[in-house]
Amino acid sequence: MSDLMVIINMLALVYLGWFVERSLQKNKSKMWLFSGLVVVMLVILFTLPNYGPTYSYIMVTTILMYLVLTVSWALFSGPTGYISLAPAAFFGVGIYTSAVLGKDIPLLAVVLLGGILSFVLAMIVGALTLRLKGTYFIMFTFGLVLLITNLLLWYEIKFTGTRGRFVVAAGNDTIYYVMLGIFILLLITAFIIKRSKFGLALQSIGQNEEAAAHMGINVTGVKVIVFAITAFFMGMAGAIMTMKWTYIDPYSAFDLFRSFLPVLMAIFGGMRYFYGPVLGSVIFAYLEEKLLTEFPYVYKLAFGIVLIAVILYLPDGLAGLVDKIRARIARKKNALT
Amino acid sequence: MWKKILAFTIPLTICLILILTSVFAGCGGKADKDKIVVGMSRSLSGPIAIIDDSAFRPVYETWVAEVNAEGGIYVEEYGKKLPIELKIYDDKSDPATMAQLTEKLILEDKVDFIWGGGGTSFIYAQAPIANRYNYVLITMEGGASSLKELLPGMPYVFVTLSFSDWYEMPVLADMLASKGCKSAYIMYIADLHGVEYNGVAGVELGKKGIQILGAKAVPPDIKDLSPVIKEAKASGADAFLCFAYPDQVFPAVGTSIELDYNPKVWLGGPGINFGFFHTAFGPMVEGVMGWASWNRKSSPALNELADKLYTGKPEDSNDWWGHAFYWAGLDMWRAAIETAGSLDNTKIRDILATQHLQTVLGETWFENGLMNRETHPGEVGQWINGIYEVVGPFDKATAEWVYPKPPWPK
Amino acid sequence: MEKFLDVVIAGLLLGGLYALIAMGMSLQYGVARVLNLAHGEFIMLGALSTWTLYTVFDISPLIAVAICGPITFVLGFLIHRTMFRKLLSSSTNQGIFESTSMLASFGLMYVISNLAFMAWGPEIRGYSYLMDTVSIGGALFGARRLVTLGFALAIGVAFYIFLSRTKIGKAIRAAAQDPATAGLMGVNINMVLAICFGLGAAMAGIAGVLVSMCYPVNAAMGIEYLTVAIIVVVLGGLGSIPGSFIGGFLLGIIGSIVSFIEPGLTVVAYYAIFVILLLVRPKGLLGK
Repeated sequence: MSDLMVIINMLALVYLGWFVERSLQKNKSKMWLFSGLVVVMLVILFTLPNYGPTYSYIMVTTILMYLVLTVSWALFSGPTGYISLAPAAFFGVGIYTSAVLGKDIPLLAVVLLGGILSFVLAMIVGALTLRLKGTYFIMFTFGLVLLITNLLLWYEIKFTGTRGRFVVAAGNDTIYYVMLGIFILLLITAFIIKRSKFGLALQSIGQNEEAAAHMGINVTGVKVIVFAITAFFMGMAGAIMTMKWTYIDPYSAFDLFRSFLPVLMAIFGGMRYFYGPVLGSVIFAYLEEKLLTEFPYVYKLAFGIVLIAVILYLPDGLAGLVDKIRARIARKKNALT
Repeated sequence: MWKKILAFTIPLTICLILILTSVFAGCGGKADKDKIVVGMSRSLSGPIAIIDDSAFRPVYETWVAEVNAEGGIYVEEYGKKLPIELKIYDDKSDPATMAQLTEKLILEDKVDFIWGGGGTSFIYAQAPIANRYNYVLITMEGGASSLKELLPGMPYVFVTLSFSDWYEMPVLADMLASKGCKSAYIMYIADLHGVEYNGVAGVELGKKGIQILGAKAVPPDIKDLSPVIKEAKASGADAFLCFAYPDQVFPAVGTSIELDYNPKVWLGGPGINFGFFHTAFGPMVEGVMGWASWNRKSSPALNELADKLYTGKPEDSNDWWGHAFYWAGLDMWRAAIETAGSLDNTKIRDILATQHLQTVLGETWFENGLMNRETHPGEVGQWINGIYEVVGPFDKATAEWVYPKPPWPK
Repeated sequence: MEKFLDVVIAGLLLGGLYALIAMGMSLQYGVARVLNLAHGEFIMLGALSTWTLYTVFDISPLIAVAICGPITFVLGFLIHRTMFRKLLSSSTNQGIFESTSMLASFGLMYVISNLAFMAWGPEIRGYSYLMDTVSIGGALFGARRLVTLGFALAIGVAFYIFLSRTKIGKAIRAAAQDPATAGLMGVNINMVLAICFGLGAAMAGIAGVLVSMCYPVNAAMGIEYLTVAIIVVVLGGLGSIPGSFIGGFLLGIIGSIVSFIEPGLTVVAYYAIFVILLLVRPKGLLGK
């Protein structure tokens, strides 16, 4: 029962992603129909706690967490080609904001502050490192997460005399609504960025950075700002998500796995499309839970094989596969007429 | 138009496949009550899997098999014996995943009971959840004095394992003082466990006038421990205490052997208490101390338990600290169900909180959510003639404590 | 002064292991252009196989080097011939190949580590071998650590000779500098790349054998050595094999000095050096 509810809502989330992609295209036919459907999807999503069992929206919250991480990651790394392994750092900053300040200030303020602190960190990191190219940038962001983890661990042991912290818990439905809100805000932001000159600038940076600079684009400025905006969303997600986990420590807060997951999910879904990462993370998150609970001993094996298979045989991910099938059917139809 | 429809239908069909698989997975609705379903989120993969595999797993596997061989646990409410069915999920050694899977077990799978996850951080994450949904949680691996402070606010949580000030360190301090041991050097892991043991050692050893000559925190993935061991050696402390996990305790032993560091007391743990310490180091283990609770000689019931758990298995699987406590925890749970005659968590909680019940440790009870001190068959152990003996407290010892530690064999 | 020497020698002993671990990874990245995230898993395979050989078949770890090395070589060779070769042919440019091959190796890491879990279980494995003490100028060291250092140096030198004197070695160097021209000059480039990947895996396997002599090992250990390897490789300069060799020793000594002053900061120091170096001199110590 709860699985069914989860799947309906997953569908709604994928639809929202697809709708953003669709509205970015020039083709405006039938937009009224699609917009109407968006309203329906939003109603389905926002009323889930009213009709679904508790676990269904706990599950969708987790899916939303992966969605926020992946979509914001892809927003920057997709067009520019800079593979950032820093999501865990930004997510973790949000977690620690929540752990340190959760008792003293209201929930929404904590979430916002978590986002702002991540934003600031990303500005600094971005300004320092976005001139690094290719593998060096990947390496730097990788090291950054580990440096923060270990520095924080040392600090906690040395100065607070403990390792972990308790977080003020929030209700499952509150967390769900906030997470959904963050995701929708992210979609709107992504839409605005893609439509504005920032989107074009990012695209040209990804194609040829030097040429973009010659065209008068403030290459560093654009990169840093967009990088920081994506970090803002990851930080907010961390701040709210941790209220569900109640106890955190540096290792669990800055889990490097959360840096790799967005990359994998985005590639799984297809980076060339806006809704690819959405599709990828929704399916991936669902499959992860199924594997962990149904086939715990081969979870990693299955995960690894799927990943390798997708990289080898589906370079454009699931969304690419969708396109390919669509093209084949269209060709067949043409052949018939 | 055809293209647009396709844009809908393809994600739709993918989801349809998912629905079908989930329907298959979710099949099997609730029938008449014919079994007790116990849910667990354990670390089957990842760095904590070591704990899962050597600590609680051998116990629950043997225990459940034994109970089910008798037909199960008699529950008066149903007028029959109900066998136990385990539902085990993998949390990848991640407390956040564990928290979510625990909620899944309670809300989605509606299991009758949950058993604890592995490790102290996992207890911290799991205890508030279990308590919120009024599920009895008997914890297995892990325990901490900071947890003790939280227990009054979490009436559904019961801690089985002994830990630092419950009563390992006070017993150790008494032992050291009785032999005139004057000083100690501490190496501890930068982790909840290490920090706590170091703190408690400072307090308890201090009470007996034992001076701490140095206390060094080491990060979990440190490789070369020789600077620390050399400093300990230079300090000339009577006792070397290593509060860390096997990953650090084993290299610490190896480095001590290499550098010929042989203090009067070499105590480490967890790690020393496992059979695989003996298989890894052979005759080198002689005189090395660690935390302990039981031994074949502790009581006839425990000798029988050792037969059940270890006969026909490699020595690697022995655990002379936790296994008896975990077994007793499960015995408590069973006795509480039988006394209550029901699977109602609240009734069972009340019994666990107030009554004395029979377990493998004899008469056993919880005191403020912790397994009472009198119940513990021991606190400190030492490898003597290739056997891990309980040496403290003295009245529960199975062998006489060898002090000072003999030199490392050549 | 004596104390200082003590610390430095301890660092060198650890550094030998780091150097060996990193050389393999450096070779894979420098020539085959694969930043192999599964590198740590080959170390794990070497370590656990040695444990089995020693405890079950009573085969000395020093002989295990001659068994694990070739096996991991073949494994690495085959993986490159199948997986990475396909990726190489489907990638339009080197940048794309580098990122996709890294992600594919991430998947490989999961596959190998899960299979090892099934084979060996998660338990910590250890054995005692060569527990003798050696005294160097009054300072004491473990004999097995000296053996480790000796092996690392010997393999480093042997590999250097291999690269500079043999025909395959020359082909490898040509492939590293300019694959296209090397291909034109009649070098079977795919074969050379696969051999390099295999050699890198073999070095990891041998490093694993040596690791198992000094430290407890288990199926989850790979990731820890992977991060060390990455740090050293960046420290020495991505793709520079002599750089990794020197970088390994350097990191060992730095680690030893820091853990002498404040053990809690040892790992922090590793990552701090790594991050700062990338900011100040991303090409590393010996990078081109």
